[in-house]
Amino acid sequence: MAFWIELLISGVVAGLIIGLSALSITLVFGIARFPNAATGDTMTVGAYGALLGHRATNSLLVGGLTGAAAGAIVGFLGYWFIFRKLAQRSSVALLVASIGLAFVLRAILGVSFGHSQQVFQLPLVRPWRIGDVPVHPNDLVLAAACAMILAIVFAILHLTPIGRRMRAVADDPSLARVSGISPSGVMTVLWLLAGAVSASAGIVAGIKTVVSPEMGWDLLLPAFAAAIVGGIGSPVGAVVAGLLIGVAQELATPFVGFTYKIALSFLMMLVVLLVRPRGLFGKLEGAR
Amino acid sequence: MLSYLIFALTIGGIYALLALSLNLVWGSAGMVNLGLAGFFGVGAYASAIATGAGAPVVFGWGIAALAGVAVGLLVTFATLRLRDDYLAIVTLGFAEMVRLVALNERWLTSGADGISGIAAPMKAELGTGGFNLFYLAVVSLIVLGVWWMLARLDASPYGRTLKAIREDQELARFAGKPVLRFKYEAFALSAAIAALAGALYAHFQSYFSPDHIQPLITIYIFLGLTAGGVGRPAGAVAGGYAVLLFIEATRFAADVLPGLKAVEVAAFREILIGAALLIMLHLKPQGFLPETMPKAPKP
Repeated sequence: MAFWIELLISGVVAGLIIGLSALSITLVFGIARFPNAATGDTMTVGAYGALLGHRATNSLLVGGLTGAAAGAIVGFLGYWFIFRKLAQRSSVALLVASIGLAFVLRAILGVSFGHSQQVFQLPLVRPWRIGDVPVHPNDLVLAAACAMILAIVFAILHLTPIGRRMRAVADDPSLARVSGISPSGVMTVLWLLAGAVSASAGIVAGIKTVVSPEMGWDLLLPAFAAAIVGGIGSPVGAVVAGLLIGVAQELATPFVGFTYKIALSFLMMLVVLLVRPRGLFGKLEGAR
Repeated sequence: MLSYLIFALTIGGIYALLALSLNLVWGSAGMVNLGLAGFFGVGAYASAIATGAGAPVVFGWGIAALAGVAVGLLVTFATLRLRDDYLAIVTLGFAEMVRLVALNERWLTSGADGISGIAAPMKAELGTGGFNLFYLAVVSLIVLGVWWMLARLDASPYGRTLKAIREDQELARFAGKPVLRFKYEAFALSAAIAALAGALYAHFQSYFSPDHIQPLITIYIFLGLTAGGVGRPAGAVAGGYAVLLFIEATRFAADVLPGLKAVEVAAFREILIGAALLIMLHLKPQGFLPETMPKAPKP
């Protein structure tokens, strides 16, 4: 039993990472209307930013903020120099462009930091024991941090004027436009937010495992899967589906082995596409 | 130098085949296949395993093409009714799955070691130099054949229907075209061509491993097709060879610039490739050999 609870806990942490990255994907998909394949590598940027910040100041908080800022800047630059100019093209052209951006980002990180894996130097903490179950305090801190980031994002979306405008554009771009909502302001905030959110997913993943230039690309598939399972364009759906996929992956490990963990998210995505293409929380859209 | 040129032209032909495959789905039918590397890998493994079991090489190529059709239908099964973006995401995942299976099912693919000693047709009779020349001829002939076939397809009512579907699915359906069937067929044929390219590559190198199933190949082909001209088979062929030229040129540039490590050179090449793709998308999305639209006949 303790074994399963342990898997469940690590599933929740993995799920929060997937959920955060899926949130970033679903925000971009809902408002800018294309699947952003550069999300994974923005995560990597965040992880390296945090690594540098942490090394310089030895404070995880400062490191995290540096990483999130780096992600936000990359998100904004990608919008300003690439996606803004292609906005009138098909979503497929934007997707191809985002893959190009992903490659450029990854290669730049590879040149700057090398390809060896790096870790956050954190003090070792003895796990607490609750009953038979070992609980790592770091996991709790990370989970709390993720929950806080999610709370901030949802507060921005639902409690601020710019958030309301973002949701209006997501709902109906032309209606939002005739109501006097300027697309450029909404887009700027969207990309800053999406960049920071994916960066924080990368930071958590980096603290939990290792930081390498390939880490983000490897996490992209589960993130896409969660965005689809949750329903494209639905922030709540992305987080719930991320948790579902994270927990399912960990609980399935004793059966399918470590190597096919990622395949599970792919399979869940296919099943959802076949049975309920709009996902768990999505609006009915798509069947053109 | 000559043997290098022969080698480069052979690989260029394989890229041209991949670009033709992508052009059929992306250029003609407006679907995106981000899993090109996956189909390439399926073909390579299918042919390597079949010829390893004793089948003749030509037979192996046929099996590779059939395997491409089979996985192509499988991949599109879940998504063709939905928006095009879903197909893109699923194919992206598909390539990762192929790599994962190739890495882990050692009984079938010998895992990370890869399959070596893949049969090279006529190599014993011709010697290494002769074989390379012979293989270049075979690959070039296949490129010509596929190009001719796809150019014919492009000009036929079938190809025009695909382009109508690309422009407006609803309208095509309204005109009585079975849109789904056309999309299935186009994707399956395109997957078969990509798988054939993989098989040709595997028998040329005599070695194939999961490392060859890189998303980087897909990016190369997207760059080539965008530069050549989306929607025109001649553009795809030109783009396939052009992207090889570009890659090889960066290799020579690296020799001229001293003090760079191999890893850094590879990274700079990736930066250049990605940047070139972005610049093409910005400045010349229709490519250097743009698609030609036939004029509507006067009533």
